[in-house]
Amino acid sequence: MTPSPIEYTAAQREFRAEVRDWLAANAPAEVRGLRVPRGPSDLDERLAAWAATLAEAGYLCVAWPTEYGGRGLTGVEVSIMNEEFGRADVPRLTRGMGESLVGPAIIAHGTDEQKRRFLPPIISGEHDYCQGFSEPDAGSDLASLRTTGVVDGDDLVLTGQKVWTSGFWKANMIFVLCRTNPDAPKHHGISYVLLPLERDGRPNGVEFRPITRITGKALFAETFLTGARAPLDNVIGGLDNGWRVAMTTLGSERGGSATTQHVAFLRQFWQLVDEVRARGLIGDVRVREQLAWAYTQVETIRMAGLALVADLAGGGTGRGLGNGSTSKIRWSEYQRRLTEIAMDLLGPDALVVGDGYDLDHWQEEFLVTRSHTIWGGTAEVQRNIVAERVLGLPKDPAPGGTR
Amino acid sequence: MSLATTTEQRELRATVRRFLADRMPLTRVRELMATDTAFDRQVWDGLAGLGVQGLAVPQAHGGAGYGFGELAHVVEECGAALLPGPLLATIGLALPVLLAADDHRYLPGVASGRTVATVAWLAPGGGWDSAGESLTVANTDAGWRLSGSASTVLDGLVADLVLVVAGTGAASTVVAVESGGTRTALPALDQTRPLARLDFDDVPCTPVGRVGDGARLLDTALDTAGTLLAAEMVGGARACLDMAVGYAKVREQFGRPIGQFQAVKHKCAEALVAIEGAEAAARYAAWAADENPAELPVVATLAKASAAQAYFRAAADNVQIHGGIGFTWEHDAHLYFKRAKASLMLFGDVGAYRRRLADRLGL
Ligand SMILES: Cc1cc2nc3c(=O)[nH]c(=O)nc-3n(C[C@H](O)[C@H](O)[C@H](O)COP(=O)(O)OP(=O)(O)OC[C@H]3O[C@@H](n4cnc5c(N)ncnc54)[C@H](O)[C@@H]3O)c2cc1C
Repeated sequence: MTPSPIEYTAAQREFRAEVRDWLAANAPAEVRGLRVPRGPSDLDERLAAWAATLAEAGYLCVAWPTEYGGRGLTGVEVSIMNEEFGRADVPRLTRGMGESLVGPAIIAHGTDEQKRRFLPPIISGEHDYCQGFSEPDAGSDLASLRTTGVVDGDDLVLTGQKVWTSGFWKANMIFVLCRTNPDAPKHHGISYVLLPLERDGRPNGVEFRPITRITGKALFAETFLTGARAPLDNVIGGLDNGWRVAMTTLGSERGGSATTQHVAFLRQFWQLVDEVRARGLIGDVRVREQLAWAYTQVETIRMAGLALVADLAGGGTGRGLGNGSTSKIRWSEYQRRLTEIAMDLLGPDALVVGDGYDLDHWQEEFLVTRSHTIWGGTAEVQRNIVAERVLGLPKDPAPGGTR
Repeated sequence: MSLATTTEQRELRATVRRFLADRMPLTRVRELMATDTAFDRQVWDGLAGLGVQGLAVPQAHGGAGYGFGELAHVVEECGAALLPGPLLATIGLALPVLLAADDHRYLPGVASGRTVATVAWLAPGGGWDSAGESLTVANTDAGWRLSGSASTVLDGLVADLVLVVAGTGAASTVVAVESGGTRTALPALDQTRPLARLDFDDVPCTPVGRVGDGARLLDTALDTAGTLLAAEMVGGARACLDMAVGYAKVREQFGRPIGQFQAVKHKCAEALVAIEGAEAAARYAAWAADENPAELPVVATLAKASAAQAYFRAAADNVQIHGGIGFTWEHDAHLYFKRAKASLMLFGDVGAYRRRLADRLGL
C-alpha cells in the first residue's frame, strides 16, 4: 500500500469505514459510474431516487449541524466522504445551492422558527432553490442592486429584474437580495428573502425567461419579479441586514472537496492523452510539453488539497495553505487553458459539432470553462480579493462588490 | 509521516530564519558575492551546529535520521535569505548519490558539516544532458584514475569531496575525488551560487557504488536536488512577493499607493497563486523523497518546473513593480532575479523538465 500523506485520527478512520460499509450495502448498481449532467436529462429519476436514499441515511447536507438534520461533519470528514463516494464510483449528490448557500445562511442568521421551517425541506428535496442575486446593472458590484422590497402588511413585495438565474428549470424557491431601504448606504438597505415561486398553488409574480448560453443550452434565465410576495417571516437575518447574510452565504465553503477535486481533472487528462495518442501525436515535443504542463497543474491541485487536509486532520487551521480565491483562480484558469489546448490537439474534428449543436466533451468543456472565471466572482475580482485581503494591498478607491 | 507541517518543523524553521537574519543579511550576501568562493565557513559551521547538514543522514552514520521533509523547510528559509554556500551541492546532490550508492565513507563528515561536497558531471560547452561526456575513468595498475574536465560545478572551489560522473566504456561511473586536479572559478551570472571548472589529469579516485551505475546515481541525485531546489525557489519567490507588496504599499504615484493600481495588484495576486501551488508541490516532493520514493521521479520533476516558473515570475515582477530603482545594482531585486533565472535553468529549463516529466509518465 502506498503511504498516506494524511494521518487520520481513529474516529476519522472509523467514519471512513462506516461510509464505505454503507455504500457497499446501499448504493444501487444503477447509479454506479453515473456522472451528473449539467442540465435536465433522462437520468433525473434515477438521481432523484438516489438522493432520497442519501437523504434518508443522513448523507445530504452533511456539514450542517446535527440539530438541523445535518451530520455535523468537519471539512476533513466531508473529504473522507467524498473520497469514499469516489472509490465506490457513485455520484456524491448534494442539494445544490440550498445545501451550500441557503442552509448555512439560515443556520447563521435565521430564527429558530425559520430553521425549523426551511431547513428540513432542503434536505428532503421539497424545496429546490435558485439564486436571485445578480441584476443587469449589478454584477461584480452586487451591492448596487435595485430590485425593491416593500413591506405590505405581513408580506414583502418584490419588484425588479434578476439575471443569470441558474437552475431555474428545476427550482420552486428563489433566494433573493432586494433593496428594502433606498435611503440607507449601499450595503445597508438590502434584505435576504426566501421567495416561493408559487403561493397556494398559484403563480407568485416570478417569471423566468430562459437565456441560451454559448453552448446552445438554456440553463439560466432572466427573472422578472412583478409584485412577488413573500411573508416577512421569510426574510433571513432581519430587514436591511441582508448583505451580511449574503456574505456568510458566499463564504461558507472550505476544505471538503480538497482531496477529490483533482479526480475528475485527472480522468480528463488521461482521456486527452488517449485521444492524442490515437491521433499519433504523442511523440511531438510540443504536445508532450503541453501534456506535462497539464499534468503538473492537476498534481498541484491534488497536492495543495492534501496539504490542507493533512493540516486540518492534524488539528491545524489550514492557515497559509491557500483559500477559496487562490484555489478558484488555479482550477478555473487551468480548465480554461487545458480545453483550449485540447481543441488545438484534436484539430479539424474539433471544429465539427453534432446535429442540433450537439457538443462532444471537449467542445462543451472548451465553451463552459469560459464561465468558470465569471460566476462566483470573476477572475479579476478574485485577484482583487487576494491582493487586498491576503496580501494587504490598499483597497480600490471605489470599492465594488465583494463577490 | 503526515504531509502536515509539524511543530518541530516550524520551530526548526524559525531557528534557521533567526540565524540567517543575524548571520546572513543581504549585506553579508553582497560581501560574499564579491569573492570567488562565496563561502562563509562560520555560517556553514553554525548551520551544522543547528543540525542542518545531518537532517537527512541516517542516525547510524552520524546524522539525525530525519529527512527531506525537514530539509525542505530549512531550505525554503535559505532561499528566502539568498544564502550562498554549498548546501544544495552537498545535501541536494552529493548526499543522495552517497545514499543511493550505499557508500557510507563520507556520511559522518557530511552530517557534521566537516565535509563540503559536490557533484561534477557537465561537459564544458555541453548541455544539461552532457553527463560524463568529457570525463573518463579507468581502473589502472596504479588504481582508479580520472581524466577530463567538468564545467558548471556548483561550489567546485570549496568542495572537500567531488563526486564525478565519468565515462567507463559505454556506461558511466561515479568516482570520489578528494584532492588533485585543478579548479578554476567561473564568474557566475548569479554571484550567490559560485560555479567552477574542474580539470583532471590522471587523478587518483575511488568508485562510489557499482561500476557502470553512474547514470542511475545521477538521476537519483537530480531528483533530490530538484526537490530541494524547488523548496529553495519557493522561499526565494515568497521573499520577492514580500518585497513587491511592501514596496507597493508605500510607493505613491498619482497621489495614491501604486498597490492600489490593479495592474500591480493582480501581478501580486498571481504571484501568490503560483507560489502556493509550487509550495504544495515542493513540500509534497520532499515528503515523497522520505515516504514514497517510487513517486519521486515524477513529483520532483514537476515540483522543480513549477517552482522555477513561480520564482522567475515573482522575481521578474518584483523588478517591474520597483520601477527604475529595481534596475539598479544597489537594490536587492536583481540578486533574486538572477538567482531565479539561474535556478530555473539549473539541471534543465522548464521545457526540459516538462519533457522529462512526459517521459516519466510514460506518455
Ligand atoms: C454560468 C453562470 C451562472 C451564474 N449563475 C448565477 C445565479 O444562479 N444567480 C446569480 O445571481 N448570478 C449568477 N451568475 C452571475 C455572476 O455572479 C455574474 O456574472 C458575476 O458576478 C459577474 O457579473 P457581470 O456578469 O455583471 O459582469 P461585470 O461585473 O459587469 O464584469 C464585466 C468585466 O469587468 C470586470 N470587472 C468588474 N468589476 C471589476 C473590478 N472591480 N476590478 C476589475 N475588473 C472588474 C469583470 O472581471 C469582468 O471581466 C452566473 C454567471 C454565470 C456566468
